[in-house]
Amino acid sequence: MARFLIRRLVLLVAVLFAVTFLGFSAMNFLGDPLFNVVGLMAELDCEAIEAGSAEDTSLDRARSDCETVAEARATYHLDRPVPVRYLLWVGDMFTGDFGTSFQNDQPVAEIIREKLPETLILLVMAQIVSLGVAIPWGVIAAYRANRAFDRGSTVASFGLLSIPNFALGVVLLYLLSLRWQIFPSAYESDSVVGLVFSMVLPAATLGLPLAASYQRLLRTDLITTLQEDFVHMARAKGLPPMRIMFRHALRPSLFSVVTVFGVSTGAMIGGSLVVEQIFGIPGIGREIVTAVVRDDFPVVLAIVMLVACTFVVINFVVDLFYSWLDPRVRAR
Amino acid sequence: MSPDGRPSRKGRASRQRLLRRFRVFRLVRSSKGPESDGPGEDEAVRRRLGVGFWLAVVWLVVMAFIALFAPMLPFADPTKVGYSGPREPPSADAWFGTDALGRDVFSRTMYGARISLAVGGFAIVFGMVVGGALGILAGYFRGRLDQAVGFAFFVLLSFPALVLAILITATLKRSLLVVSLTIGILAVAPVGLLARASTLVYAEREFVAAARVLGARNGRIIVRELLPNVVIPMGALTLLGMAVAVVAEGSLAFLGLSVAGDEAISWGKMIVDGAGLRDLQNATHVAMFPVVVMFVTVLALNFAGDRIRQYFDVKELAF
Repeated sequence: MARFLIRRLVLLVAVLFAVTFLGFSAMNFLGDPLFNVVGLMAELDCEAIEAGSAEDTSLDRARSDCETVAEARATYHLDRPVPVRYLLWVGDMFTGDFGTSFQNDQPVAEIIREKLPETLILLVMAQIVSLGVAIPWGVIAAYRANRAFDRGSTVASFGLLSIPNFALGVVLLYLLSLRWQIFPSAYESDSVVGLVFSMVLPAATLGLPLAASYQRLLRTDLITTLQEDFVHMARAKGLPPMRIMFRHALRPSLFSVVTVFGVSTGAMIGGSLVVEQIFGIPGIGREIVTAVVRDDFPVVLAIVMLVACTFVVINFVVDLFYSWLDPRVRAR
Repeated sequence: MSPDGRPSRKGRASRQRLLRRFRVFRLVRSSKGPESDGPGEDEAVRRRLGVGFWLAVVWLVVMAFIALFAPMLPFADPTKVGYSGPREPPSADAWFGTDALGRDVFSRTMYGARISLAVGGFAIVFGMVVGGALGILAGYFRGRLDQAVGFAFFVLLSFPALVLAILITATLKRSLLVVSLTIGILAVAPVGLLARASTLVYAEREFVAAARVLGARNGRIIVRELLPNVVIPMGALTLLGMAVAVVAEGSLAFLGLSVAGDEAISWGKMIVDGAGLRDLQNATHVAMFPVVVMFVTVLALNFAGDRIRQYFDVKELAF
């Protein structure tokens, strides 16, 4: 186990380095790094401005811009070779210094701290919705396997998995909030109840397709479990069928769902970008889209790194958890 | 199909022909296990494609035809502002109504198929060529190369797909080629893993050993012996991969990060245009028609893809 843990940790560190390096390269090789940091000012020809006549007042602004550019060169170590720059940048990130947004000079770390809670609430609620829907759905489908309900739910889950999440979001928004006016259409944060209530639709948009895939897994596992002797035993004792399903058969059938649960949390982060956009939730997904449109590169890079690293760590933890549940995995 | 649910003799014979033609060796023999999906899916079911499959294929062929020949078909000009009044409901004149700028929604929806299918098709071909090549090389030569390629795939999969796409499209000019390449890069790792896994299986087989004994070089073994076998499972998952790519492009377009410009009509872009609260309330058709067409297209890709996957009995990898 110890050797396995060490191997996994080495892999984790290597992947984190690779992921950050990819993000860093995107910033430095795909675009002009100076432009990505200071925006249009990067195109100033500073030497010519310095050489211009000292009295010309119209040059004052340009000169101060030039100072900003020079400053940015120093802060972002743009005068150093690339590998050094990369290490410095990673070091900055680890100490929580993500740079400043050049839209409003706000530290990026602060922006993220402000926006992250909304996204986290959304993700947690989406998982609650998906499990809350999937467990009863899967149990009933397995209880009457291959009957009308089960066949119908196969079709329904196939449809749910095929609908792009932004399309589902728009349809839900239209039906449940505009047409029937059950849920509010706008984000509210005045009270906890209002917040939770306004998050139901976004959470359902993220959670329903997930519920469909959980339901498939749970149904398959439950059908296997229902062949076991202890289920026959419980049935022979005359226990009510739903008690058997929920108290006896459900727990040993949750294995697949638990393993997918972790991975899907990571995958849902991508979906939350879109969902926040539809329902106007001020989370990091909305922030990154605004930042991309405005070429606010420090914000984009910081959020991408945050999300990717979280994703890597979640997968790492799930992997460990999985190998703890099933020792055969360790032998790989 | 005969009423007792077994494949007709004709169907079985044609399948046998198909199998011989492609020299299919099953990648995974799954008579049981999670793949067989409970009691519903036995051999007989797996081996017929069914009516739904052909309906899906018809839809896809029609959409592909429209996408290819849209400028030659009698559609209204999709970019013409003020084709008739703004936000008009569907009528005989404008079948899907008009959007906020008075543009013809039907014509825009049809033109929207072009970017979606072009990006989807390009992405999956790119994924198969690059990912397939890397996967086969890694699976055949093993060792250091395998480790390096495996690590690269692992890193690619460490980004949530949409986030990686945003990182690339944020830094580059958003042209059709860039968006297609971006989504193609997303396809490399899953396709590559599949190619590697099936190469590992076939590299152990007798016919590869026989070829080696006969003095075949590595290049010949890879191209003549391994490639034809590895292409089958990759090809069987093409449509499923395309569905993912079409949704990915739609998501990017929805966020305003797909192909830029007014000329570039995309379903995702149309949906976000019609998804403002007032538009959604008063002119639902602007968003709903592209939603429906996109949903049916993705459904058709998934359904046909799933049938083909079952037909060739390929185990699904995490796409």
